[in-house]
Amino acid sequence: MIMFGKIARDPVSWASLVFTTVLPFLIASVVQATEVLIFSTVTLACNLLLGYTGFLSFAQSAFLGVGAYACGYLLVHSGSGFLVSMVLATLAAAAAGALVGLLATQKRGIYGVMLTLALSQMFYFIAYAASDITGGDNGMSGIVRPDIVLFGAKLLRTDNATAFYCLSGVFFILVCVLLRLLLASPFGAVLVAIRENEERAIAIGYNTRLFKTLAFVISAAITGAAGALYAMFLSFAPLSNIDIAMSEKIVIMTVLGGSNSFFGPVLGATAYVLLSNVLSVVWQRWLLLLGIILILIAGFLRGGIWSIVVWLWDAATNMRSRRNQKNLAATQEGRQLI
Amino acid sequence: MLTRRKLLVTSAAAAVSAPAIVRSAMSAEASIKICNFYALSGSTSSTGKTQFDGVRLGLEKLSKDYAMNVEQVTVDSEGNPGRLLPKIINELQNGTRLFAGGSLSSESLAIMPEIQKAGGVYVAATGADEITGKNCNRGTFRWLVSTYSAVQQTIAPLIEQFPNAKRWYTITPKYVFGEALLTNVTDLLKKKGLEHVGNSYHSFSESEFSGYLTNAVSTKPDVLVFLNYGSQSSKALRQAIEFGLKDRMKIVLVWSGGLEQYEEVGADLLSGVYLGCQYDHQIDTPVNKEIVAFYQSKLGKPPTYSHIAGYVDNYLILEAAKRCGSSDPAAIIKTLEGMKYEGPTGAEEVRAGDHQCLKDYYLLKGKEKSKMKSGYDFVDIVSHGRSFQPVEETGCKMT
Amino acid sequence: MLYVFQVLNGIGIGMIYFLISIGLTLIFGIMNFVNFAHGAFYLLGAYLGYQVALSTGSFTLALITAPLALAAIGWLSERYFLSRLYDIPHTYQILVTLGLSLVIQELVISIWGPVGTTVAIPEALRGVIFIGGFPYPKYRIFVVLFAGILALLVWFLLERTRYGALLRAGSESTQMVSMLGIDIYRLFSATFALGALLAGIAGVLSAPLRGTDPFMSGEALAIGFVVVVIGGLGRFEGALVGSILVGVVQSVMSSVWSEGANIMIYVAMGLVILLRPRGLFGRA
Repeated sequence: MIMFGKIARDPVSWASLVFTTVLPFLIASVVQATEVLIFSTVTLACNLLLGYTGFLSFAQSAFLGVGAYACGYLLVHSGSGFLVSMVLATLAAAAAGALVGLLATQKRGIYGVMLTLALSQMFYFIAYAASDITGGDNGMSGIVRPDIVLFGAKLLRTDNATAFYCLSGVFFILVCVLLRLLLASPFGAVLVAIRENEERAIAIGYNTRLFKTLAFVISAAITGAAGALYAMFLSFAPLSNIDIAMSEKIVIMTVLGGSNSFFGPVLGATAYVLLSNVLSVVWQRWLLLLGIILILIAGFLRGGIWSIVVWLWDAATNMRSRRNQKNLAATQEGRQLI
Repeated sequence: MLTRRKLLVTSAAAAVSAPAIVRSAMSAEASIKICNFYALSGSTSSTGKTQFDGVRLGLEKLSKDYAMNVEQVTVDSEGNPGRLLPKIINELQNGTRLFAGGSLSSESLAIMPEIQKAGGVYVAATGADEITGKNCNRGTFRWLVSTYSAVQQTIAPLIEQFPNAKRWYTITPKYVFGEALLTNVTDLLKKKGLEHVGNSYHSFSESEFSGYLTNAVSTKPDVLVFLNYGSQSSKALRQAIEFGLKDRMKIVLVWSGGLEQYEEVGADLLSGVYLGCQYDHQIDTPVNKEIVAFYQSKLGKPPTYSHIAGYVDNYLILEAAKRCGSSDPAAIIKTLEGMKYEGPTGAEEVRAGDHQCLKDYYLLKGKEKSKMKSGYDFVDIVSHGRSFQPVEETGCKMT
Repeated sequence: MLYVFQVLNGIGIGMIYFLISIGLTLIFGIMNFVNFAHGAFYLLGAYLGYQVALSTGSFTLALITAPLALAAIGWLSERYFLSRLYDIPHTYQILVTLGLSLVIQELVISIWGPVGTTVAIPEALRGVIFIGGFPYPKYRIFVVLFAGILALLVWFLLERTRYGALLRAGSESTQMVSMLGIDIYRLFSATFALGALLAGIAGVLSAPLRGTDPFMSGEALAIGFVVVVIGGLGRFEGALVGSILVGVVQSVMSSVWSEGANIMIYVAMGLVILLRPRGLFGRA
């Protein structure tokens, strides 16, 4: 109940609701809005590791792929319903997250990152080698979107694009709320502590490895659930979900939007999807622009697109002085800035 | 309904295409809209640009030949089926029903069900057997031939030409397409009573083939068969020749990319190597001569297979539209099924059972550099023909 | 006999990997800077070498000019751009250099097109010699010898020159070295340029073997990091032994479990990180 109150007062949770409602009108395509939402949850999950725990993970595509393949396999071969497939896919991805987390957190810094990269390559290798299960380079086809059935009553037909968007919207908002609660909790505080100064966190007595591994599990679970949704969205689970380029893409989207804010990654995913749709036909080498933006943001403007948006908003509403005072108070209290 | 997105994409396509072919959605009636997609950006974009040029120029010619107003929509698949599908669904929502293209088989397989659901037509430019096999559907057609035909038309003629070649070694990429090629090769070798002395699988991103080549050498084969394609096959070929294998055995690359690959590899390396290809600009048919002359005039050089694939895929749609007098996809599908036409490889036919075009596949041999008549005269056509499994054996169950 | 030859072949492969990874280990180990654009230097080296060889017909000229160009590019990018990034967390160094790698790759495609090219093996180095009945290209022997000589030169540089002593000292403590009055940043620029030069040489040398391909930077980067991790950060011996080890594993695997050759490299890296994180030769 306290949680409910916390959420009701949390502007970001409301922002996610507003975002979900407004998005299809901004993009003028429900289908692409769904794509944006799915990737937004993936980047939020990635940022749990990157922005909040300070761990750059190149293994996110492994979780996305595991979730997608697991869900797809269940839907194609065992006729499970929506809920069962989603849950099992999420669990499968969480298991993958535990594995990757346990291994990758053994070492800190660059070695941890390298481990996630190596593990990601291994997942990819298994995915295309086990082509009988995954379809290999052809991908897994024939995934039929299940209707949402609860106690035998058909709640929602998902083969309608708008219905699926609503489903994705609910998922997105749930993930936002869940993450907000998580990050506001002591668990979240420990993650931030680990990011800021891991030695000190250890000195205080926290088992930082455990916390980091848990962060991996949660991040993987969310990414896997998004993967399951993605598989249903495409009715297809391609190999490209699980390759290193996808991991890079996810990280780039997260950073683009702003890895030191909660909502930044969502903007990053939105910007990337929109940019690639509009630019790639006009200018095939648009990735060059993306590379430059990435350099600028990662190097000099860690706040990403979000910080630009906030800056514009401040400038437009002259709230800067008030915000500075609030920020000052917040920094002194050590809280995460919005 | 003209949405902002449609205008953006159409005008974007206009910006990059020749002004002659793109008309806006608002202009002349009797307009037919075709959406072509390929990987223009991303790490698989090596053939995308050529396919795009092939389509752009091809439609320039085709719209003149048919006196039709063709509205061309270009979509970048980014080499990623996940990014492609929403864009295709978008096009479907915009009313587009006619599609062609694809750079990766997974792209085709991903969008086929979606296009069929909307009652559209899709002519695939990708090679996986499943497209006209296990995954076949009423909306999908394909011009290029799949692994069975490719293997029959490259390996079988070689077996005949070299009766003393008893030992065959294969180098295969370890994924579904590679496995399909390999199965066809091993079946054929077994049927002819020849020895398959060994196979080396390699991974998708492999670029170091010396180990596999060494392994091959240790089995003393008469023929070395490469079942990989694209830049991997170029690398493998380079390294094989570097190891002097050309002098010790015959080398054949079953699924080559055509002229652009020959240019990439170069005549020195290519001479004496056997190659299989879907197309060659030297094919001696009236249709091909006309097409080649056109592309030659626009590009300053002969067209390669990627160009022609783009041309023929759109040609099939337009020819069917002309024959049935309408751009209604259902009518086009009916017309295409069983349609006989003059294609680049001669008399061709769209098989009704699996929507696969029956056309020739070519066995080529690299020329000596000194014998090249022009900068593009890399190969001689050794043999060509068509072999297709009966529909029942392809696994296609057309609903 | 096959396996003996595979080992020999692996050593040959390893020497190219050495040229890629020695630069990376110096930059990483000594400057504590994670350079995800290192593979892009390799890529540029290959393409610039291709262009020079194409325009002048001389592979030797390509082998001289392309690496020098890379050294200049390395120096300039470090001096005016990358040096600002030394204080940011490793994570963001990775991201920035990832972006740089992307930019370089797209530039290469814009100039030379998305399809690869072939660089001819110079006339004098064509042909094969026979080792135990197996053909081995003369060109690869040349590469091994050339890389071997370079390895000796680099070793000499690191162990017997003042610059090398400064580098090694700098890898232990940059503060100390700069307090002794050495311009540590000049040192870094020079090291970065050296790393880029060596990567460029690797690119030029491997172009006749594998051709050029705009997407070759990813693979080089992966190999580079695998070797650096296995061999140990900032350690010359580590880079040498690590690369040869990786090359041998790759080569032998192709006779043992061919499709796994590629993934075994990552498995090996993973094992080293978990079991002996400082690498075979790394300091504790």
